[in-house]
Amino acid sequence: MKEFTDVEFMICQAARLLEDNKTVFVGWGMPQVVALLAERLYTPNITQVFEFGAIGPQSRTPFLRGTMGGPQNTYRSLQWCSMGLAFSYAQVGYIDYGMLGAAQIDKYGNINSTMIGDDYERPKVRFPGSGGGNEVASYCWKTIIVMNHEKRRFVERCDFITSPGHVIDGKTREEYGLPKGTGPWRVVTSKAMFDFDEDTKVMRLIAVREGLSVDDVVSDMGFEPVIADDIQVLEPPTDEELRILREEIDPYGLVIKK
Amino acid sequence: MEVLDRGDAEFHFVDPDDFREYVRDRKNRNWEDKLMDESEAVKKFVSDGDYLAYDFSSLTRGPQSLIREIIRQRKKYLWICAKFTLLESVLLAGAGCIDKIDVGFLGFGPYIARKVQNGEVKVYDWSNGSITYRLIAGAMGVPFIPARDLLGTDTFKKSGAMAVKDPFTGKPVALLPALNPDVAIIHVQEADIYGNARVYGPTVATLETAMASKKVIISAERIVETIEFRKEPNMTIIPYYLVDAVVHAPFGAYPGGTQGYYEMDSEHYLMLSSIREEEDMQRYLEEYIYSVDSHEEFLEKRVGMKKLKELIKKAQILEGYR
Repeated sequence: MKEFTDVEFMICQAARLLEDNKTVFVGWGMPQVVALLAERLYTPNITQVFEFGAIGPQSRTPFLRGTMGGPQNTYRSLQWCSMGLAFSYAQVGYIDYGMLGAAQIDKYGNINSTMIGDDYERPKVRFPGSGGGNEVASYCWKTIIVMNHEKRRFVERCDFITSPGHVIDGKTREEYGLPKGTGPWRVVTSKAMFDFDEDTKVMRLIAVREGLSVDDVVSDMGFEPVIADDIQVLEPPTDEELRILREEIDPYGLVIKK
Repeated sequence: MEVLDRGDAEFHFVDPDDFREYVRDRKNRNWEDKLMDESEAVKKFVSDGDYLAYDFSSLTRGPQSLIREIIRQRKKYLWICAKFTLLESVLLAGAGCIDKIDVGFLGFGPYIARKVQNGEVKVYDWSNGSITYRLIAGAMGVPFIPARDLLGTDTFKKSGAMAVKDPFTGKPVALLPALNPDVAIIHVQEADIYGNARVYGPTVATLETAMASKKVIISAERIVETIEFRKEPNMTIIPYYLVDAVVHAPFGAYPGGTQGYYEMDSEHYLMLSSIREEEDMQRYLEEYIYSVDSHEEFLEKRVGMKKLKELIKKAQILEGYR
């Protein structure tokens, strides 16, 4: 078995989650590489949707970071449209999956990509903000969040809620007016995979990376997740997945070597 | 309508009737030649204190030659609308042109991060979708648009949005205030001398931004005959009567790229995004913007034909983009 990085591990786990003949709203960076890998290996008929207004492109590889709206990523789209329309496809219910990264996440799947600290005006760390993450998390039927597993990122409540999870400050997302039946669906980390408990909507551990224990995962979190009765093992990346990632999709290592 | 919650941030707002009157009285429907250079267009149509919107991104089809001209003319107190912004906000902040940024995605390099921390530039958080829907409301001539963006988030609390009880369903819904910028700057692949314009590739909010704005400056890689639009009217993104000025600007998106024409200059971009210190920023502005008189001089003396040819050659994916 080849050696692989945490990022490669997460990309492969997330790519295996998508279903063929569905639509996926793809966020910037790692989600783009996940979608490319899935399309190459598992879901050839998936329709990628980008906030720039590229619908169903057959994006060229190798992947180039930073040019999401450029010809590389929008090549042979089915439709070029506006951002308002791209988000409206999601708002009206056409987009099955959303895929996002996060700086911080809380036990209900609320996402922070805005700032760290308790003073919004004088943050300790300032991130770029929502981008289109709010819309992806608000409207897609099933949102997949891909992020590094570190204690400081898994918190009781996010310092700033940029994008909504299942329960926000004691109220359900539906009570805030968000569409019924949507929300975070899976959280893929460098150590584990989570879904959300049906009753409490708290993040639930369902699988751990091969070689790790449940304790290894939970001790690295700032809140207590629900633990599923039957914990699966996350199989490592296959040689085929790694070859396609390294040779065809990201030979420059822009994402996978981070 | 019952107001359930409201964000506490300041926001730019224009009464739709005031905007309509502006359109009636000040937008010219004459078929007249609007071709002018950057310097004249910015002098005529960008004023200190304006709320300024631009279309597309720092990396692709952004109006960078117009941004540099705004800096060259040392405009002040601008409030910019940035769905996503990387180098524009950094340069405009470095040059002291902006006070405020409405932001969806702010590529926070170390330089602008400090400007924000120091309070020299104020950031208002929205999201790409909510800013775009605000422009759509501005383009529809209505005071707000109902949507479900921002609901249940801290972004909502730090925005100018409102949540109300929808009179139809009885469920909560967000009201996003319309956005009518004073001026829009938009780079396109092709325009005619009257301002008809089209783009190849996704459009982000090209038409909405132009329609919602009081003044519109278009820069174009190519100036084409009007008959080109009449041959393929479904490709016309912006009709001439929205437009105040047309600037012929080959490489107008440099150091970003324009689909079908040239790729972004990654080296220049990396050099710019690695700037941390004030004196390095001022040196950059002096060398690349203040010390040249025009976009042409910038291309000739600071970029050079060798680099430009290289970037044209790198744009290998042409199919569908021109």
